[in-house]
Amino acid sequence: MTIPLASLASCFQGLIPATLYTCSKDGVPNVALLSHVDYVDSNHVALSFQFFNKSRKNIAENPQALVRVYDPDTMQCYELELRYVRSETAGPLFESMALRIEAIASHSGLRGIFKLLAADIYEVISVAKAADEAGLHAPHLAGPLAPSRGTDALFTLRALQELSDRIHRAGDLETLLDSVLEALDSLFGFGHAMILLPDEATGRLVTIASHGYPENGVGSEVGLGEGIIGMVAEARKPIRIAGLLREMLYAHAVAERARGQGLCPEDRRIPLPGLASPESQLGIPLLAQGDLVAVLCVESRTPYRFHEEDKGYLEVLGNYLAIAIQNTQLRERSEEAEAEARGPSLPVPVAPPAAGGARSHEVTYYASEECILVDGEYLIRSLPAKILWKILREHEESGRTEFTNRELRLDKSLNLPDFKDNLESRLILLRRRLDQRCPDVRIVPAGRGRFVLEPKALLALTEKP
Amino acid sequence: MAVISDELKHFLESGVSINIATRDAGLAPHGTRVRAVLVDADHEHVTAYVNKGSAPRLVADLDDNSRVALAFSRPTDHRSCQIKGVCVARRPARSSEKEAVLGQFGGFLGELEAVGIPRVMTAGWWRWPCVALRIRVTDLFHQTPGPGAGEKMG
Repeated sequence: MTIPLASLASCFQGLIPATLYTCSKDGVPNVALLSHVDYVDSNHVALSFQFFNKSRKNIAENPQALVRVYDPDTMQCYELELRYVRSETAGPLFESMALRIEAIASHSGLRGIFKLLAADIYEVISVAKAADEAGLHAPHLAGPLAPSRGTDALFTLRALQELSDRIHRAGDLETLLDSVLEALDSLFGFGHAMILLPDEATGRLVTIASHGYPENGVGSEVGLGEGIIGMVAEARKPIRIAGLLREMLYAHAVAERARGQGLCPEDRRIPLPGLASPESQLGIPLLAQGDLVAVLCVESRTPYRFHEEDKGYLEVLGNYLAIAIQNTQLRERSEEAEAEARGPSLPVPVAPPAAGGARSHEVTYYASEECILVDGEYLIRSLPAKILWKILREHEESGRTEFTNRELRLDKSLNLPDFKDNLESRLILLRRRLDQRCPDVRIVPAGRGRFVLEPKALLALTEKP
Repeated sequence: MAVISDELKHFLESGVSINIATRDAGLAPHGTRVRAVLVDADHEHVTAYVNKGSAPRLVADLDDNSRVALAFSRPTDHRSCQIKGVCVARRPARSSEKEAVLGQFGGFLGELEAVGIPRVMTAGWWRWPCVALRIRVTDLFHQTPGPGAGEKMG
């Protein structure tokens, strides 16, 4: 093999579709575009098998194939002479390829139709540059497809050190999440990033912190298995998509054919958090002792923005961040208990809403849906909604404004789990949703384990079944 | 013998991704990118223009046998089809044909640009001179990815 297969790693990113050439036993050549080519080892590649087609039939008769792949950094085309070896329908390689395809399928509302049937393993006989499709010289690249600066090992190490310092310095969960997202932008240039937490009660992921979006998107939700973020959470494995637009167009072409044959009757695509039209997405599960703590998602409108190295170091960061999130939550709980033992803090003065001419809002709690609407507009649901309703009711009945996390934990009506209740993150979510949707009602931290309700308008509370 | 409809002719010549496959005596497949395809007035033949640099292996295959396949795919919606045929003649492309070939290939690069691959990145793909292959169309197939890909047209 004249060119080492390992040196073509960037060709297996899926940005430019590969072309597969085969030939039937009676000598009829065939050519087809191929969804995915993956590197297996220094002598093998895996081709995605999604549909029974002519290429697959030819390979069964004649194992010889040629595949042309493209380096997305230079657009140099390479020709790989192949010989079919076997098909895998289980195992790490199959699962890794299947996950990426499932993520695209889920993003397109095509789960179950757009899926991997097998990972076909081929021995690579030779690798050569294609003379007719020469690439640009990588050092001259300055375009949007140029490699990210994150590929510099020393830079990456320093950036990770800086991130690690920020994680250590963060005194609370809110600061931790915000500082990490800000650092991903300032250090790595990842301008659009969000962190979503799993909500056991609803089985969904909810955005708790985001950076780089016109609306902060806090509170936006995605179900497990829905879209790339949902697939990351469900599989607990990272997913990197280099050219989402191309992949989506491919999936939509499949959908059109499927609809034509009555296999996909409706457009099941669901709105997802994040950019409306991302080109690149990288989702990392934040795992601690095997538990899903959160999902970190970075995205970009630029194709091939995130490289394999980016996935690698964000996984390292993700592991670290998951433990930091858990530790911060444990520390906050422990400090809450100490603060509780010391007795109540000094009352925090809260200005009452001015009578006459003051703004007013109708706050409605739908008990069966555990959902709050303000002036008819959705505010929040699930546990944060129950918390808000409890403190608004108490404020209405007694004028009380100061509350403790501990009393929320002890309140049986809220039904918080004894362990890993994620109360701090739910309060952050509630605070941010109020800032965003109803700034006349604020929840202000007042020392460890305490917060103050600040209504700056008259609130008319209504509970509905 | 298969006949190319007016609608299909328009698609084939609209500036899409075109690849040609050949094979040698040992049934090893080969292939390369086609710069442009023009449908003959009889709608039963097409002329495919391939870069001269990729011609030696192609010519060797066509000297052994004349079987070819041409795959067309539009990047913006993946509408795809395949022509099976036999190469009945080959010649150097004429300089008078360069403009038409360049125009069609430029259309394809524009399609790539629409899916996020800027033209500056594909600048190295344009090559001239080309070899012109006259191909008699024997079969036409749908190839848009998904269920039903591979069905015969018409």
